[in-house]
Amino acid sequence: MSRIDIYVEGVVLNVMVNELEKWNEVKQMLGHRSMSLGAHWAYNLLNDPKRLSFVLSRYKFASKMIPIGQRVLELGCSEGIGASILCERAGNYMGVDFDQEAISVAQANFNNPKVSFLVGDFMGNKYGVYDVVVSLDVIEHINSGSENVFFDTICRNLDTDGIAILGTPNETSASYASSASIAGHVNLFSGNRLRQSLQKYFRNVLLFGMNDEVVHTGFTPMSHYLIAVACYKRECRAT
Amino acid sequence: MDTDNTNWMPVKNLMGKSTVRFGQHLSFQFVNTPRRLLYSLSYYKFAAKLIGVEKNVIDIGCGEGLGTWVLAKECGHAVGVDFDKDAIQTARSNWPSSQVRFTDCDFMKIEDACYDAIVAFDVIEHILPVNSPDFFNKVSNNIAHDGLFIVGTPNETSHMYANEVTRKGHINLFSGQRLEEQMREVFHHVFMFGANDEVIHTGFLPMSHYLIAVGCRRRKANQRQ
Repeated sequence: MSRIDIYVEGVVLNVMVNELEKWNEVKQMLGHRSMSLGAHWAYNLLNDPKRLSFVLSRYKFASKMIPIGQRVLELGCSEGIGASILCERAGNYMGVDFDQEAISVAQANFNNPKVSFLVGDFMGNKYGVYDVVVSLDVIEHINSGSENVFFDTICRNLDTDGIAILGTPNETSASYASSASIAGHVNLFSGNRLRQSLQKYFRNVLLFGMNDEVVHTGFTPMSHYLIAVACYKRECRAT
Repeated sequence: MDTDNTNWMPVKNLMGKSTVRFGQHLSFQFVNTPRRLLYSLSYYKFAAKLIGVEKNVIDIGCGEGLGTWVLAKECGHAVGVDFDKDAIQTARSNWPSSQVRFTDCDFMKIEDACYDAIVAFDVIEHILPVNSPDFFNKVSNNIAHDGLFIVGTPNETSHMYANEVTRKGHINLFSGQRLEEQMREVFHHVFMFGANDEVIHTGFLPMSHYLIAVGCRRRKANQRQ
């Protein structure tokens, strides 16, 4: 490391050296990990990078709805891109996805005792008792004939005081979606249908709309994305 | 050929001849700090959207009932309660509708009922800490088991920027954390939001000018934490 002296009005300043030293101190604090994106998120980041921004924003909103220290299950976690944000508040987190490659990417990226991932088709399965189930961009891929199994799966993994956070593109946004998105979306919801479906399982459903990173309570049919926060499961008795 | 006027008149006729008169409180605000009306309405809109349709709502500390009217229109039915008789008089003359009614009474003294939702904006900061538990108990006793309670109050971190009139009235300011803890004593589920201007968000709470907490599934008195 070379020292460069700069003379300014008779004062010696070691500007370059000091700045680099300072930066190296900061760098040391960052650690030496690296993360890699798998096929799914590399594709998104290369082709439509803004997607990363609003997807993370959905996770941040979900995270803020979760009381600190709770047990969180994510159904359809893909590469675990939301795990870090959810874990800022969650006590522990488990992500499930049937895409083996995506889960391998997730497992390689997270070396954190609070975080675990599992390969599996979650439909109908119980993984434990959780305070929160998060599932973003999942239900639109489930045939409407099976959607009740999906809602049942959420409920059976939730504790009596549990909350569910679901996100899905609004059906009104379908005409603007890419052909890849359209091909995968077999069961799009309107805000009303999402609310009514969840109300069969939960007494309280708070519905939000989202455009870009902004979560709001504006006119639902013009929301690009829908997020529902559901609590007070029907099977629970009034307390 | 149609003139602009011939197009406009039918539109104007559709609006009817109703007028709305602001009383002392809203007029003072509208003249001195009109932006306050914007964010106050924005809080009410947020509450109304979360409460949903076909609900019976009570608005505590309703003042001249501008927000109560938003709740009534969006949710179906609303009752406004305020101990300021003049404000209630103004509210009644402005919103003569079967969807809304107003009571000039202290909320703590109203007869217990069962509402689908309770809204209280800018109320708890005016209640002495010693009386605060009674207030939350009264809320709990008047809400359906699956009802929502939406409470809003200025963040204590905004106090240093408040004007003198505001400072005088605020005797019990909350931080986000204290509001959340207080709400969790009464409700199983609490969702915290911050607001800056009209924007309601989930950003860093200490930098939120205003705090809004949404509580669901009230605890029974003997199950309070």
